Formats: sequence, C-alpha cells, structure tokens
Amino acid sequence: MSKTVKDEILDRLKVAPQKEPPPRPMMPPLNELALNEEEGIEKLVETLTLIGCDVHRARDSEETLEKLTEIARAEGLTRILASEDDVVSPLDLPEWGKKSNVEVFTAKDCRDREEFKRVAFEEVEAGVTGVDFAVAESGTLCLVHDEKQPRLVSLAPIRHIAVVPVDRIRPVYESVTDELFAAGGKAPSHLTFISGPSMTGDIQATLFRGMHGPKTVTVILVGQASS
Amino acid sequence: MNNPSLFIPCTVDLFLPEIGEACLQVLRKLDLVPVYHPEQTCCGQPAIHAGYVKKAKASAKHFIEVFGGDEAVVCPSGSCVCTVKDRYPELLQDEPDWRSRAKELAPRVYEFSQYLVDVLQVEDVGGAYAGKVAYHESCRVLRGLGVSEQPKKLIRAVKGGELVPMQGAEVCCGFGGEFSTNYPEISEALVSEKAENYIASGADVLVACDPGCLLNIGGYLHRHHPDKPALHIASFLAEAIRDEKR
Amino acid sequence: MKIKSEQFKEVAREELKTRHTRAHLDVIGLFIQEMREASMATFPDPSAALELGRAIRAESVERLPELLEAFEKKATANGAVVHWARDAREANQLVLNIARERNIRLVTKGKSMVTEETGLNEVLVENGLEVFETDLGEFIIQLLERPPFHIQGPALNIPVQEICDLFLEKGVMKEPTLEPVELGHAARIFLRDKFHHVEMGITGVNFAVAETGTIINVENEGNIRLTKSSPPIQVSVMTLEKVVPTMKDAMHMLRLLCRNCTGQKIASYTSMDSGPNRGAEADGPRELHIVILDNGRSTFYRDPEAREILRCVRCGACMLECPVYGKIGGYPYGWAYSGPMGQVLNPLMIGQERTQDLYRACTFCGVCKTVCPAGIDHPKMFLRYRAHDVEGDSRYNATRRPWPEAGFMEMFTWATKRRWRWDLGIKAVRPFINRQVEEGFIRGLKGPLEGWFKSRDFPAMPRKTFRDRMRGRKE
Repeated sequence: MSKTVKDEILDRLKVAPQKEPPPRPMMPPLNELALNEEEGIEKLVETLTLIGCDVHRARDSEETLEKLTEIARAEGLTRILASEDDVVSPLDLPEWGKKSNVEVFTAKDCRDREEFKRVAFEEVEAGVTGVDFAVAESGTLCLVHDEKQPRLVSLAPIRHIAVVPVDRIRPVYESVTDELFAAGGKAPSHLTFISGPSMTGDIQATLFRGMHGPKTVTVILVGQASS
Repeated sequence: MNNPSLFIPCTVDLFLPEIGEACLQVLRKLDLVPVYHPEQTCCGQPAIHAGYVKKAKASAKHFIEVFGGDEAVVCPSGSCVCTVKDRYPELLQDEPDWRSRAKELAPRVYEFSQYLVDVLQVEDVGGAYAGKVAYHESCRVLRGLGVSEQPKKLIRAVKGGELVPMQGAEVCCGFGGEFSTNYPEISEALVSEKAENYIASGADVLVACDPGCLLNIGGYLHRHHPDKPALHIASFLAEAIRDEKR
Repeated sequence: MKIKSEQFKEVAREELKTRHTRAHLDVIGLFIQEMREASMATFPDPSAALELGRAIRAESVERLPELLEAFEKKATANGAVVHWARDAREANQLVLNIARERNIRLVTKGKSMVTEETGLNEVLVENGLEVFETDLGEFIIQLLERPPFHIQGPALNIPVQEICDLFLEKGVMKEPTLEPVELGHAARIFLRDKFHHVEMGITGVNFAVAETGTIINVENEGNIRLTKSSPPIQVSVMTLEKVVPTMKDAMHMLRLLCRNCTGQKIASYTSMDSGPNRGAEADGPRELHIVILDNGRSTFYRDPEAREILRCVRCGACMLECPVYGKIGGYPYGWAYSGPMGQVLNPLMIGQERTQDLYRACTFCGVCKTVCPAGIDHPKMFLRYRAHDVEGDSRYNATRRPWPEAGFMEMFTWATKRRWRWDLGIKAVRPFINRQVEEGFIRGLKGPLEGWFKSRDFPAMPRKTFRDRMRGRKE
C-alpha cells in the first residue's frame, strides 16, 4: 500500500535522532491570580481603559439599559445589531429599542446568511454583545461563538458595545481556556479574545483605530463585588 | 593567587602592544607578579569564525598546552575569552581528552576587568582622571560573558572621573571581525552611529574592553574625529594611575 | 515569491542610501524595543517567563511527529479537514483544488508568511481567482508588487505620496489625500466590500494546539477575523512547526509572541478555531481546511542543531534588535523570511550556495539569541553554515571557500601552533601591511581588506610585537 503524504512526512520526522526535551523551569504565578473579586473588577477597569475601551458601570439590568440609552443618544445611534447570548437576551434589546428609537436587529430577523451579512456590514452603526468571560490580565473580552453569538456582531459594525457582568471576570487567559477546553468536553468551534479596538500603524507608523474591525469598544460593566 | 598569567590576543600582540603593557602596569600596581608565557600565539578566533573548525583545533590545543597549568589566565579581550570558554569544548568534542582539558581550563580564563573586580575583589586601582567617560558595552563582553558592571565600577572608582550615559551603549559597533571588511557599508553605518553617540554623550574619552571594538571605533574616530580618543580599560586605568602619581 | 538572496549586498547598499528606510528603521527600532521591555516586565519574573517559552518550543520541536499526529486527530474529530503537503507546489495545488471544486472566485487573505514562502497568491491569480491581501501593509505591497520591508510593518517605508498615487491608480479611492488615517480609511472601505462578498478566506496559523486540535491567529486589524467569519470556506495554512503541546502552552506563547512582536501584552484579536460551524450559525465557515506544509523541514529536522530553527514563533524580536537588520531593513534578505531567523532558515530552505551573505553578514553581537523567546541560537548556526562551506558539505549545498582564503587560514592556523612560526609570519606580513603609513596609521590597503579603509584608518603594525617587548624582561 502506497504511503500517504502524511506518512511520508511523519516517517522522516520519526527517523531523525531524538533529543530529550529540556525540563520546564518554574515560573511564579501571574500577579492577577492573587486578586480578590473587588480587585479583579478594578484591574479589569484599569486594563480595559489602558487598551482604549470606554468603561461604564451599571448596578443591574435597568441601569444597563439606561447606560445603553445614554450611549445611543451620545453616538446618535439609530440601528444596531445585537447577539442573542445569555447576557444580552434577558435585556430584551428589541423592546428597549422600541422605547429608545433604536432599530435593533438580530440574526433571527435575517432570512439567511446573505441578509445577515448585509445588515452587519452595511446597515448598522453598532454591534451589542454580552461576553462569556472578561480577563483582568489584559482587558480581554472572551466570546464563544455559536448560533446565539454570531461573529460579525462584534466585528463588522464600527462600534462594539459589550455588556460584561462582573461575575464573568477571570484573572488570566488560562482561567478561561481551562474551562472551555476541559478534557472530555467539546471545544467551542470559534472563540475570540477581543482586547481593545481594531488598530494599525502600517502607514508611516501612524497609529489609528478602526482599520477593519470596530473603532470603539464600549464596555458596560454590570454589578459589583458581592461583598 | 598572585601570579595571573597574561593571555595577549593577536590584535594586541600585533597592533596594540601598549594595551598589554597597560595590563602589566595595572596588575603590578596591585602588587601582583603577572606571568607572560612567550610561547602563546593566538586563540584561533579568526579561523573558527570563518568556519575553519578542523584547522582551528590546532590553535585551541596550543592554547591549552600553554595555559593549562595556570591558576588564572587574564586577557584584555572579551571576544577571545568567549572563544576559549564557549567554542573550545565544541571544537574539541570528538577528542574527549582535549575536550575535558578545555572544559577544565575555561573557568580559569578571565576578561581583564572581570579578573580585577570579581577575582581580586578590587574596584579602586588608584588613579585620577579629570573628565567624562563613556563606556561601550562590547557584545562579547556584555552578552558573551555577562560582564558590564565590572568595568563601570573600575571607571567610577577613578578619582575625578565621571561615567556618563551614552545612547546605544549596548548596540554593536559593527566590527564583527571579517564583517567589517566584507560588509563595509553596513559596518560603517554602525560605527558612525556609535561615534555620533559617543560625541553626543559629551564624554572626553570612550572606554571599551575589547581591542576589536577599539580598532573599529578608534579607526573611524581617527579618520573623522581625531580629537576624540577611544581607550582600552587597561590603558585608561594605567594612564589614570600615571596621572595620579604626577 | 521570487528569491533574491544573492543580491543581498547590492540591495543592502541601496537601502543604506535610502533616507526613509533609515529614518523608519531608527524609529521602529527604538520605539518597539522599549515597549517590548516594558511589556515583558509585566511578568513577575520576565526571565523565567522567557525560559519557559524556550522550553515549550524546544519540547514542541523534539516531539514534533507525535504532536502533529495528535493535532490532526483532534482537529479532524472537531470537523476540520486536515491536508498534508510535501512542498510548495503541493500546498498551492491543494488550496487551488479546494477553490476550484467550489467555484470560488473571490478570496481574502490574512498576513501569512507561509503563503509567501509557497507563492500561493500567484498560483491562485494565474488560475483566475481574485485574491486580496487584507492586512493594510500587505495590501499596499501587494498592489505595489513589492516584498515586505519589515515584519511588523511590511509597507512602513513607503511614503504617503506613493500610497496616495497607488490608491488612486488602483481605484481604492477617488480623492487624493496624504493623511495616513484617511488612506487607511479608504483601504477599509475598499476591502470591506471584499470582506462582505468573499467566498473563501485564507489565513496562516500562529499556533496549532495538539491537545485540542485548535488553530490560533493573532492580529490587530480584524482582517483575519473577517477572513474567517464572512465566507463559507476557510483554509488555514501552517508549516509543520506551529504545533504546541497544550492550550496552556499556547496561552503562554501568546503572551510572549505579542510582547516580543509589537510590545503589546496581547494583540487586539486572538481567534481560535476548533472546527467549522456546528449548526446553523449566521456566519462563520461551514468547512475548515487546514493545510500542513513540510517544504524541506522534515529533511533538515534530522540535524538536531538545525532543527532548532523550527522553534521560531515569528515574533520578529530578533529583527527588531539585530544591528544589521536595523540598518538595512527586510529587502536585502531576498525572501519571505528576513533578519536573523531568515538568516538561519533560508540557507536550509533554499540552499547555502544561494544564501551565503545571509550567514556571513553578521557581527556575532548575539542580541538575537539573547532576546529570542523560542530559544534559538542563531550565531551557532551561522558558524555551522560557514563550517559547511569550508568542508564543502553537499547536504547543505555548501560551496567551497576561495583558495586565497583557504590558503591564508591554512598558514594562519599553522602559525598559531608555534611561536617561532607566528613570529615568522608577522615578520613576513609586516612590510605588506605597512606599505603606506602616515603618522603611524594606515589609510588604505588594496586587496581583500580594502573595505575597512573606506571609512576607517588602522594603526600601523609596530616594529615590535608585545612578545618582542617582553624579551629580556624578567617575566
């Protein structure tokens, strides 16, 4: 039986002389792992701000919607795209939209992929999502993508607004990946770590935001430390 | 331990013997009786660098034979010390006896400032210098041997002397042995920048621990800024000692 | 991508004379170096963090076949289709076939060095596909038909006037502007249309996680996420060595990669694919193809030292710190990979006879090795390649050194064995060296050393060596 290309390549690798991999050095744990809940929230606010996100605080869903109204007014938003994840769904954005004069689209409203893409790329001025996690180490928002969390919502519109309940805050990336990629479970087909707005410096090293992805990332941090 | 054996690199032997003299002067000021083995020649670095590893084995073996019995071997060239410590064991890997002799000798070979500060525990060799000093961190000294604080301590201890910061002190001067003649334009871009940084630092003298760097930087300065001196650490200290006596 | 490594010296000379090249390199170098150091300092123990990264990559390379098998198994179980390609031609053909079978006409691409290595774009375009590079810098150089200038900024040296003219000419914008932000905005609008209608997205891979069958991409602009998310087909191309053992390992390497590449703790977007869409998602690929490319790596893998270059994570720190690269930029290296990592890799990939300058244009300052988060010893490999030339090692397509050099080295090493020989040699050589001396200095010397004297003097050889001076003294 003829060898497959894969076997040919792997066989060449396997016949090469083997070397023992070097031992792994001890590394002290990252500082963020020692943070308590309140410190974690503070740290997240700090890192989000450092990387260029706008951060708002809200105590509960009601205040979240109030903040959203403020933001919509300030930015002159009239059409937004929202995901239907378990953070944003309970807020009932379509209902809020009716009261606030903002048209709220979701993937459900779109007949097919083509229509969804058209809405995401051409129709809306902002995308609103929840998050699965937010990582204090670097101000990173973690989104697991599935039917309720289309990718383009946090990517195609020029603004990304993210609702982040404080109980979703984690200290470091591994706190997220250990859970999502746990042995025996099913890894998410697509996971994004969003750390600030889209950026580039490719033309004469002039930095600017909003190259292909959102120009602004606005975070509404909901709740406070349980103590 | 009072008989350090002096290893004089070929650059010093052939072109800059005054650096060797300066080493002797400084060591004698510290009441040492430095020994010079006249059979020494060259560590073989030019051949090793050019890939002539088999031929260079002869140079390595001669070195080991000349210096093998010494308690401490002191050398005013960081790159040569690196060659002996890092390259010799590799070079001789298929001759286990020679290899173990090389490994055994390696820890006893020191760069000049390293010997003074780390082994003799001396930072102040006496000496006076009225002026500002900039220090160039030769690549082989800094990254090859991890030596950086030692020469600076020696400089700072000289009465009246002021060690001033220099932009890009850790950046390569562009020597690299045959690199300087084979890629002269790139080499020039690097050495001219080094010279500019030296001048911009306001220092009256540039000090370094590697004769290769000094030939390079000194050669450029001599052509373009002949009033700006560049000295080996040993020469700087020897002059400071002489100046203090006066 | 056309190989121009033999033109290293000429191109380097050109670049040294080009004002913008020099100005940009100076700025990039200083700026990002500082950011890199500051971001590494956010680790409680930066040097342990560096050492851990090195150990992870060393292990990844030593366990390569096992990790690749594990990766393929997991990725396949996730629903991805994994393809293997022995060489560039096979890889390009695979991607072309995937496109043809699905009647693909419009392709967007994320920045990918491996696809430059294989010359994928040319093959797709020759076969009638429209292919758009979408990273702003890559987009510009694609239109200009030029190689990348710098790993972090492929088009950093291109003046805004040239970009403006280019964009007007190619229909990227209608109104002229010299403002970088406006130029960027024009590119955004132009490429947005492509992202909207793209039928197949091609990306590279930063890390392939064996434990979970996941591919990871890192970017700041969002073009890779769009390339993955908008079309129904995603093709991601990786070279063998991109595997890491576990997701934890990948997260640590992610931290090191971003800090060493752009001085950021993490780039704006990290996207991780473990298979295509599962159900009726509104966007994202229905098919995920992963192409694993060999292209000679499994062959030089047999050399335990040469294989260390496979640890490279393409962070570019070596380039940022290299004093030579810092003066000449990326063009002279003449291929997809430049700077110290290219100087190690290209001779193995292309052959030593075509890349001689790459392993000779090095001062051995050692900065590359010092900063490398993957633990590569670049200078050691340059010495190896030079030794291969001396020995005429055909396995590396080495070329024997010219006889004047070989002859000189023969005499030189002969002379180092005995002091009388050494002294004899000096006596013989002194009159030649000191042919023209002015006030104790040599200002010019025709022959192989004349390069030195273009900008430097050299001390004349004193009549007495140090050894001579010691004669008759007590020591």
